[in-house]
Amino acid sequence: MAESAVLADSRRCCFFLYDSSKVQEEGDLTRDGIYYFYPEDTPIDQQELLCGQLAGVCRCVSELSSSPVRLLRLRKSKYAVRMKDNFLWALSCSVEIPDVSICDVLDQLIALFCFYNGPVRQSYQLYSQEELALRWARYLHHLQGGSTELHSIFSCLRTIDSTNIDPLLLLKAALILQACQRCPLVLAGCILYRGRVMSTQMPPALTVKVMVYETQTYSQDNRVSVNGLSSSVGSAASVTVTTQVYLTPSELNMIRSPPVERACRSHCNPPPCQPRKSRLSRTLSDTPTSDTDSSSLDALQCPPVSYQTMPSSPRSSLSDEPYFSPSPSRGNTPLHSNLLNQSEYFNSESHDHQTALKEQSLTESLNRKQDTDTNSESESKSEGLNSDQDVQSEEIKALTNGFQELNSHENHASDNDEQIQSTADKLESDSHVTSKNGKLRGEMEARTMSKQADRRHQDKYKPTSRLSPNETTEDPSLLPSILYQHRVRGLVLALLVEPEFNTDPAAREEVQHSSLASLNGLEAHLRNTSQGTPGPPGPYTFAHYDCIQNTLTTNVCGRSVGPQDRAFLRATALLHSHFSHLDTLQEAIVRNSGSAVYATRSTAQETYFLQQGTPVRNSGSPDPQDSAFSLPRKARQRLLKHGVNLP
Amino acid sequence: MKCLLVANESAEVLFYWTDSEFEQRLQEQYGVSQEEGEGLPAFEDSINTLFAPIIISCSTMVDRLGDNYTSFSTENNHIYVLHQFDECLYIAVNGDGEETEEDLKRKIYVMKKLTEILFGMVTLSGPLLRKELRPQDTEQRNRLWKKLRSLLETYSRLRENDQSFLVEAVERLIHPTLCEQCIEFLERRLVQQINSSMDRAGEEVLHAFILVHTKQLAFYSSRNASNLNPSDLLALIILVQDLYPSKIDLDDTPEELENSTVPDVFYTPEPSPPERESVTPRKDSPPVFQFVDPDIQMAEDSLQTLEVSTPDPSSPSRVFLEAKECPMMPHSMYCLSLWPGITLVLLTKIPNSHMAVSVYYFLEAFVKLEKRLGEGHEGASAMRGQSSVQEQRSKLEKFIKAWSSMEIQTLQLQNAWTDFKNKAFSRSGTGFTRDLLPSCRNMKTQLCGVYRQFFAAECMGSSQRLAPHLQERALNMVQEKLMDWKDFLLVKSKRNITMVSYLEEFPGLIHFIYVDRSSGQMIAPSLNVTDRTVSELGKGPLADFIKKKVWSLVATARRYLHKGYATVTLRDGDYFYCYFLWFENETGYKLEVTDIPSCPDDTAPIGMLTFDYYRKLLRYYSKKHQNEVVKCYELLTVHLGVIPNEYILQHCSQLARKLWEPTRIPLL
Repeated sequence: MAESAVLADSRRCCFFLYDSSKVQEEGDLTRDGIYYFYPEDTPIDQQELLCGQLAGVCRCVSELSSSPVRLLRLRKSKYAVRMKDNFLWALSCSVEIPDVSICDVLDQLIALFCFYNGPVRQSYQLYSQEELALRWARYLHHLQGGSTELHSIFSCLRTIDSTNIDPLLLLKAALILQACQRCPLVLAGCILYRGRVMSTQMPPALTVKVMVYETQTYSQDNRVSVNGLSSSVGSAASVTVTTQVYLTPSELNMIRSPPVERACRSHCNPPPCQPRKSRLSRTLSDTPTSDTDSSSLDALQCPPVSYQTMPSSPRSSLSDEPYFSPSPSRGNTPLHSNLLNQSEYFNSESHDHQTALKEQSLTESLNRKQDTDTNSESESKSEGLNSDQDVQSEEIKALTNGFQELNSHENHASDNDEQIQSTADKLESDSHVTSKNGKLRGEMEARTMSKQADRRHQDKYKPTSRLSPNETTEDPSLLPSILYQHRVRGLVLALLVEPEFNTDPAAREEVQHSSLASLNGLEAHLRNTSQGTPGPPGPYTFAHYDCIQNTLTTNVCGRSVGPQDRAFLRATALLHSHFSHLDTLQEAIVRNSGSAVYATRSTAQETYFLQQGTPVRNSGSPDPQDSAFSLPRKARQRLLKHGVNLP
Repeated sequence: MKCLLVANESAEVLFYWTDSEFEQRLQEQYGVSQEEGEGLPAFEDSINTLFAPIIISCSTMVDRLGDNYTSFSTENNHIYVLHQFDECLYIAVNGDGEETEEDLKRKIYVMKKLTEILFGMVTLSGPLLRKELRPQDTEQRNRLWKKLRSLLETYSRLRENDQSFLVEAVERLIHPTLCEQCIEFLERRLVQQINSSMDRAGEEVLHAFILVHTKQLAFYSSRNASNLNPSDLLALIILVQDLYPSKIDLDDTPEELENSTVPDVFYTPEPSPPERESVTPRKDSPPVFQFVDPDIQMAEDSLQTLEVSTPDPSSPSRVFLEAKECPMMPHSMYCLSLWPGITLVLLTKIPNSHMAVSVYYFLEAFVKLEKRLGEGHEGASAMRGQSSVQEQRSKLEKFIKAWSSMEIQTLQLQNAWTDFKNKAFSRSGTGFTRDLLPSCRNMKTQLCGVYRQFFAAECMGSSQRLAPHLQERALNMVQEKLMDWKDFLLVKSKRNITMVSYLEEFPGLIHFIYVDRSSGQMIAPSLNVTDRTVSELGKGPLADFIKKKVWSLVATARRYLHKGYATVTLRDGDYFYCYFLWFENETGYKLEVTDIPSCPDDTAPIGMLTFDYYRKLLRYYSKKHQNEVVKCYELLTVHLGVIPNEYILQHCSQLARKLWEPTRIPLL
């Protein structure tokens, strides 16, 4: 018994990949089948013991049931299991993590490996076990390391803390991505800052994969990547790398289909394909095939996708519908034309506003702004915050829309890059107009994500049509693609591009051109943003999980976990797994002697709320006066200021 | 597709039960050919072979990792639940989605409970239990397994259909006057008469109760008897239901029910109701204790010849129940069917049962010693917490001498004891060290063997029982007493309380269950799903839907309680569910809520049948309230979701107050 102190420690994660085809004869050693085992310092005989037993028992059970084992529970730990073509992956965690979460993590891990290395069998033929072991360790670390318990419950993306960031910077990031996408070889992209997502156009599952590479280069700084680095330019502060990656057909379809922005643009400019073609002829005269290819893909592979948005999530609580349906009259609205004028006006101005604009009051209205000097400090920081909020958002939407239109209308302009740059700067200079409630950011995210959202939404609620989570393991036909990354210190632009991108210097040039300056500017801003300490957390604890974007908003700090937070985490884990098992469950209150937690969910989100402080004496018997039952009301009130809008 | 099997460490299947789908599937999958006449052994072999890798891997994991599998689930949602009790590994499988992991775990614990009820302390010894569960003789084995399988099936049927088995508490018929009259009758007339009779063969009725289907009409315990705990009572109801199954979709047509005011025409007591005829084969199966035991050689060979004859209906079943002195005290159980669906049960103390107490005393001492030695304690510290070694030693010597004069085989015990003494006490021996463990275990086995001879083998071999005519008389007396009530009771058992009477006061309330965990009793409106009569819930699908909701609510509430949450409210689809658990003192004053411990996943399932979670909870809570009697209650409600929350909570609170009253019926 004592021999297994390492493995018996339930808190430590354990992971292995075992190939049973290597161990078939009587004389075969179990260790030959172990491709990778984590923790790596585990003595080999223990590795053999665990792999041998688990693999044996899984095989026996899967034969009895004629279906692969998914979860294997022991008294002190549990293992998520995947079995596929003689391979067996197993990942353990402590018993407190919900089953759904650990299974998700394992699937992510396998998908991650396949994303960078292609099919497992093939990659073990190409690379040595030691080399791949490094990669497994890296991926494992990426998925598990450093994340808080809440993150492991929801296995969500790590996003930047948006409360400290000027929302317009987020908008700017989104615009950079859109700008890059004008090169038809660029499929989708995301911007990461210090290992966290700032803006993304990809579905969450893909974003996670892209991030790994970031963390790895981030920690290794400038060193040449092991993952088939093909080119490297720039100084220490600015590096570009491209990496061979593999996408599943469905992932590829998802990102090849026109993202919302392009769709929107096409609606504004019938016929839809025209702008792209014209751009293409300008920049990439030698790749007509890829264009027809992708446009046919657009047409063929995504017919079912509608441009309807999600049922309201708090961030996209303003309807996005107008943007996704053709509205010919839109361009004639006063606001719109006003905006165009404004852009032109700003266009002629120099860049020097930019530096003067730091994070300042964000509460003034656009109208007011237009009348005053750009650099002026706002006198009335809170004035009209609430009343103007909606108007502002509307205006910002229009602004964004206008920006897009601007791009498509004027894409013949030679100085395209500069224009983006300057427009973005203008937007930034208009930072005064946004309120800090995150609506703008929500808007942007909602728009970039909404299509994936639709799809995910469909997947989620039609279990039969749901993409199998282990698609990467099941699908032999992984399609090669290229991951292009441009790093400016802590900021990384990651783009998934068509394979032809590597052989097309013009495309590369275009992407670099369109993003370089903006990236530098964005990075400078982010760097100068003070890492303001979060305010007092308030007398409550909450977590708001967006199932569509796979992101989490919470006021639980990662490190210091008090008893109330512990209680919150425990309840949240239980409730989350209850939600995931029972589709019809809408809300729940659970209470033990020390704490009461309220949870509610809609199709797109889950929210958990705990009111801190010592609970009033109660007996636990049914009592309408019981404070636990006022939680829904409190949650509604308290969470409003976090941008969470409960029904 | 279901299966349950018990195996020992050497991967030998001691017992298995499968439904036909599972059997079919295995046969299709592995082409197990069923030869004429030897179908069963072939299937048994294939089960053995198929599960062997899992069983062996389990013991490897325990030995080398100190951990063990508790469950597997596959992508097509087959669930395997494993649990190790001492030397026996239980595996339960479900492949049709009808049972959850928790259900399977519960089933395993129920199986364990049933073996304890049937075999008593013999279950404490692996080798003996093996012989008990898997008799050498094929015919005997088939008979025993048939009995166990039917018990398991009876349990599953009850758990799926009967609310009292859903929440694991006994449901009483709510009719205070009749209840009181019956208790008085049982006490003054029945039990007194039997216990003063000369023909009772040294037995003494300790408990007597009347069941109408699964519901309890009256319960009487004699003054010197220990309480019958809810766990045992529920297990006994399973035994009774197995013997006299009440048909779920009983064909008492509406006409008959409505005419029940003139009942005598329909239900004149028949001397041998057809029901009884159909169950007679079951009565053949009880001789579970008759077997040859060549390895341990306890010389029951001579006894075996006595028991071959088919046991007559008046022979009791041996059951082992918890008593103050010993957790597995032998009793004889007499089930007398008054009419189909109504049963009188007598539990008697048997002669010599005090032997169980002394055997248990020594067994416990050895179990403790084994545990401490296993933990690495040596010498005096190994014996800590026990009375002095010398004292125990001389006590045991005395008992062994006494036992050996009592016509039972004690040679093996004497040998084991000599061996133990040599090792433990002599100078040349090992003393109290880890090396003593084997002798310690041997002593345990031998003590269990003695216990078995006293209570198991003897039971079947001798004609120890209340004289048949005494039983007959008891039956007649109660029949006479209840004659006029019979039909009323049968109807009442189907509609103990109905939702109709609550609708006006609690609009929007759909269903509720109220449980008094201190007494192990519950009240809930009847859910008649299969009845042809239209209930308040409508018939068929709707009632069935509500039933499913109620069943899943109980499972959910348990899951949260398991993690320490005593209040849960859920909005699920169009319904709103509440669950409350709270404590009161005897006068109904609500006590302040306490920290309910969160249990690790591998603990016993929450309930009262297999492992009394609530008794533990009450004990835990009582520590803070030393000088009052603490009671524990649970309330589960289902409301329509459109009712505002304030009203729902108001309802729950009023309901709890209202229901408190009827449970105050005196239990003598």
